[in-house]
Amino acid sequence: MRGYKCLRPGRVGPFSGHTWPVGGWVEGRDPALCVRGVHACRIEDLPYWLTEELWEVELDGELRGEGRKLVAERGRLLSRIEDWTHETAISYGEGCAARARERVEAATGDTAARLSELAADVAGVAARGEPALAGYIAARTAEVQAGVDGYAEERAAQAHWLASELGLVRA
Amino acid sequence: MVAQVEAAETELLDALRAGQEAAFEALVREYHASIVRVARIYVSNRATAEEVAQETWLAVLNGLDRFEGRSSLRTWIFRILTNIARTRAQRDARSVPFSAVGDPSGEPVVDPDRFAPAGERWAGHWKSYPDRWDTLPEARLIGDETMERIQAAIDRLPPTQRQVITLRDVDGWSSEEVCSAMEISETNQRVLLHRARSKVRQALEAYLGQD
Amino acid sequence: MLISEDLTCQELVELVTEYLEGGLSSTDRDRFEQHIVLCDGCAVYLEQMRTTISLTGSLTEEAIPAETQAGLLGLFRDWKQG
Repeated sequence: MRGYKCLRPGRVGPFSGHTWPVGGWVEGRDPALCVRGVHACRIEDLPYWLTEELWEVELDGELRGEGRKLVAERGRLLSRIEDWTHETAISYGEGCAARARERVEAATGDTAARLSELAADVAGVAARGEPALAGYIAARTAEVQAGVDGYAEERAAQAHWLASELGLVRA
Repeated sequence: MVAQVEAAETELLDALRAGQEAAFEALVREYHASIVRVARIYVSNRATAEEVAQETWLAVLNGLDRFEGRSSLRTWIFRILTNIARTRAQRDARSVPFSAVGDPSGEPVVDPDRFAPAGERWAGHWKSYPDRWDTLPEARLIGDETMERIQAAIDRLPPTQRQVITLRDVDGWSSEEVCSAMEISETNQRVLLHRARSKVRQALEAYLGQD
Repeated sequence: MLISEDLTCQELVELVTEYLEGGLSSTDRDRFEQHIVLCDGCAVYLEQMRTTISLTGSLTEEAIPAETQAGLLGLFRDWKQG
């Protein structure tokens, strides 16, 4: 089973602090223990986890979906998604900002004012090259404008942007 | 792996019961320093801690026949130690009263002043981020003075917090073993560990933040 | 995921030990980790806590003085005879 993994520069896990080897299998032991299993995510989860490096991974053994991630017994890095660069991350953020501005235009009164403030935040964060935060505030903006459905819609739009721009393939 | 440990322990116990000095010496080498360190948490000076350690070894030897192996040997030894140390502390009626209180469980582990107050836009978020330590010169981070500060921070902890962090983080015990030795619940152990680690981190941060 | 379910930094620092011990529910683990991704301050705090634990683990024990060892051996011999 294929999945994706967001790592810090140098293939460092953002929570474990461990450096991932290139190619070799990493054992995660019991998938029930989050700190022990190997984590990866599906395309639709990516917006929640974006970091500096994006990798395609292969997962093996017992596999579980858990919240916004996949947990497997073992996994290995296959290849780095080279198109995911600092510049791409900024573009991604700009996409989030653009959608946020559309929501501002669709709103009126107090909501519009509040949304406007949030949309400005998205743009500012996007320009700094912080894709995960830009996406988060954009999703929050969508939620203010259109509730839970708005939130889901924005997250789906973010995942779609990544899949098409980076040429990601499902499973 | 567990079976191997059990087999090794059974062998050691048999040798002890048979009066083999080498077995006892091995046990002393393994645990004596740690026993004294834990005893020192409860009693007022090192000499008394050594006495408590001696009493513990005697109680262990006298209890060998009764030891059923339901817990590991070391948790059993440390349970005996904890009881002896506490009894001794109460008997000596230390002038500075120790207790698990003096650290109300509701106290936050990071000064609330470091977070934006309620009502603000980013309420509950860091006003300014803590400093990264990985950019510090390694000599500073792992130098002798740093280690002294950590030990000093541990020494200042209330006794049960101090014992938990010593066994877990200094000696590398599992949480199950610590709960067994100290006869506390997993929840209780975790809270104590949380408070202890947070104070040590805080002390480290204060020290490393100096120029 | 609603905003009201998000963790604040102030809440996160109280959950760090639980997280490292593997005691959080899978939902809370997710929330915890998503916050870490978004918040450099908390990412640093988590790393500080890891470093603290690691350094604590390298506190060394003093060797047992020879006379203490001799004393304990004496204790053992007395016990054998008793």
